[in-house]
Amino acid sequence: MSAIISIKNLSKSYGSKKAVDGLNLEIQRGEFYGFLGPNGAGKTTTIRMITGILLGDEGEIAIDGGPIHDKKHVAKLLGVVPESRGFYEWMTAIEYLYFFADLYNVPKKNQERLVTALLSEVDLLKRKNSTIGTYSRGMKQRLGLARALINDPKVLILDEPTLGLDPQGQLMMQQLLKKLSAAGVTIFLSSHLLDEVSRLCSRIGILHQGHLIAEGTVEELKQKTNMKDLTEVFLHLTSE
Amino acid sequence: MFTHIWKKEIRGELYTWKSLLWLLISSLLFSVTCYLLLTNKELSLLDQTELLWLLGKVIIGVALLIVIVDASSIITIEFEKETAESLFISPVSLTDFILGKLLAVLTLWLAIFVVSIPYIIVASAGSNLAIPFLLYTMLLGTLGVLGFTLLVFAISLFFRSSKNTLTTSLIILLGLSIPAVFSTTLKNDVVSQIISRANPVDNIFSSLDNILVDYQTSLIQNWQFIVPLVAFCLLALIILLFAMRRFQKHGVIQSE
Amino acid sequence: MNMKKTFITTCVRSISLLVAFVACAQSVPPSLSIQIISQNTLNGVAGDFVTVQGQITNAGATTLSDVTTYLSLVDTGTKLPVDLEDWSAEKGLYIGSIDAKQTLPLSWKIHFVKAGTYSLIIVAEAASNEVPQVSVITHFNVAPKKNLNPGQVLPVALGTPIVLLCILFVLSYRRKVDG
Repeated sequence: MSAIISIKNLSKSYGSKKAVDGLNLEIQRGEFYGFLGPNGAGKTTTIRMITGILLGDEGEIAIDGGPIHDKKHVAKLLGVVPESRGFYEWMTAIEYLYFFADLYNVPKKNQERLVTALLSEVDLLKRKNSTIGTYSRGMKQRLGLARALINDPKVLILDEPTLGLDPQGQLMMQQLLKKLSAAGVTIFLSSHLLDEVSRLCSRIGILHQGHLIAEGTVEELKQKTNMKDLTEVFLHLTSE
Repeated sequence: MFTHIWKKEIRGELYTWKSLLWLLISSLLFSVTCYLLLTNKELSLLDQTELLWLLGKVIIGVALLIVIVDASSIITIEFEKETAESLFISPVSLTDFILGKLLAVLTLWLAIFVVSIPYIIVASAGSNLAIPFLLYTMLLGTLGVLGFTLLVFAISLFFRSSKNTLTTSLIILLGLSIPAVFSTTLKNDVVSQIISRANPVDNIFSSLDNILVDYQTSLIQNWQFIVPLVAFCLLALIILLFAMRRFQKHGVIQSE
Repeated sequence: MNMKKTFITTCVRSISLLVAFVACAQSVPPSLSIQIISQNTLNGVAGDFVTVQGQITNAGATTLSDVTTYLSLVDTGTKLPVDLEDWSAEKGLYIGSIDAKQTLPLSWKIHFVKAGTYSLIIVAEAASNEVPQVSVITHFNVAPKKNLNPGQVLPVALGTPIVLLCILFVLSYRRKVDG
């Protein structure tokens, strides 16, 4: 399998603090990769550099062989649920998705079907004509996922997508991600919910103080650290 | 691509309470000015061309103020409301983004100009100056609005904060407007004359004076005012391009 | 007795000579003069333009140079001079030279700026040692201008904000319905 995301020697500093330090990472096509780390480990910084929003100080990132600064190429491939959860609150959900469908050059004749399907998938069809300002946090997050899927991406990058969702919302999100993974979408998931990551992800990377300190399947990590579950593995590795 | 940003701004910024309230306030200001100019015992006895000149200054002055207030937040709000990240992840380039926002601001100016048309017509009645007044208000106003908007956008990209952008922009507008209202007797020395020549607000007012009071209505007769205005727009564009390069270098999300 | 008679005679002659001299001096007319030939009372309404017509004459034997006229306007109600800023563009009119025995026509366009009663005098002077000459007074009776809707400004001044207000309410109502 060829790497769809390739990160080589990536570094980023904020002043004197090194947020990401010499990160080397390869995500294989079709993988469901879990990206773990404590607060301040550099997860969001890494994701922002992968999406091109933040520029790294050193290193290279390639998405499906193309460099990160080829915006058109990258935008076609990536779907992103970023950490910042800003929406145009005055828009309705359907207007919001149509807007992004236009930005992603989705043909007009396909937009209605696509938008309706996405809203149905994230269970927002009944509230499609309500303004986003009236949505709960969970509804906004689901809308964010629908937006991330508007361009039928090959790679889906999610930064804490289930944060703040109730259990039903978390379950719905997880089921959707499983479905997407089964359909061949590469998923890069950053999360604090170790249980969620351990159930969903085929491979996990643990970031600590800007360094990738461990990588592998859950079983491999448990064996390496001699721990019972992913929580213990995580706590053990990040306490050092 | 920029047309989608433009349409979004029309829907979200212009077709709103806020913008219509601005248009209403502009209209009230024009109403008071026009009524005072035509009915006040002393003011109404000024030569009609002087009345038109005063009205022209009020129209363009109000438009510049409103446009600067709008332009100060139209970009920075994307960062403050955290919508910039999802927008720049999409195929939208910074150029499309700026162009879409620029067209939205120019649309607001167009709306203010349309509101001013009935006042221009009624004040110009009987003077044969209605058409030149309308055309030159459109031309000079557009150049002024374009130049100031480009400058404010550059400041926005630098500060990424609507409060700082607005404060800086208003200071610049004030700094350029105050000398423009000085009488010509206070602009006799070389330095004042150079500043006056370069000042876009001064050029707009002087050109209106030239057209409405002195009846110099052709473009050639106003070249000495229009050329500096065009130069101001070009300078503002250069500053904006520099700001855009700097913005791209630092990234949409700045290093904290 | 004879000395007394001589003294008195000398005094009388001297006085007579003096009186004659003074009389002669006073009876020499000035060479420069200014006359108003339009009506000496002009009536109008604030905002009107009127023209005061006159002429300036050099009755002397030599050319007068640097001849200038000045307007002076007094508000007879308040007894105060009036700033001629908007009343006339010809506050000071430079004529130049007037040849001997020449008469030149003059006119001053006056804009009735404010209602009231006024007195206008025109002063003429020349570079030579002439005493400035003053015209007769022209009286102005200016009635106030009453027009609350000049040029149909009211429909626009009231109508435009009302139209915009209606649009605002329609927009607000539509948003409530859609929401």
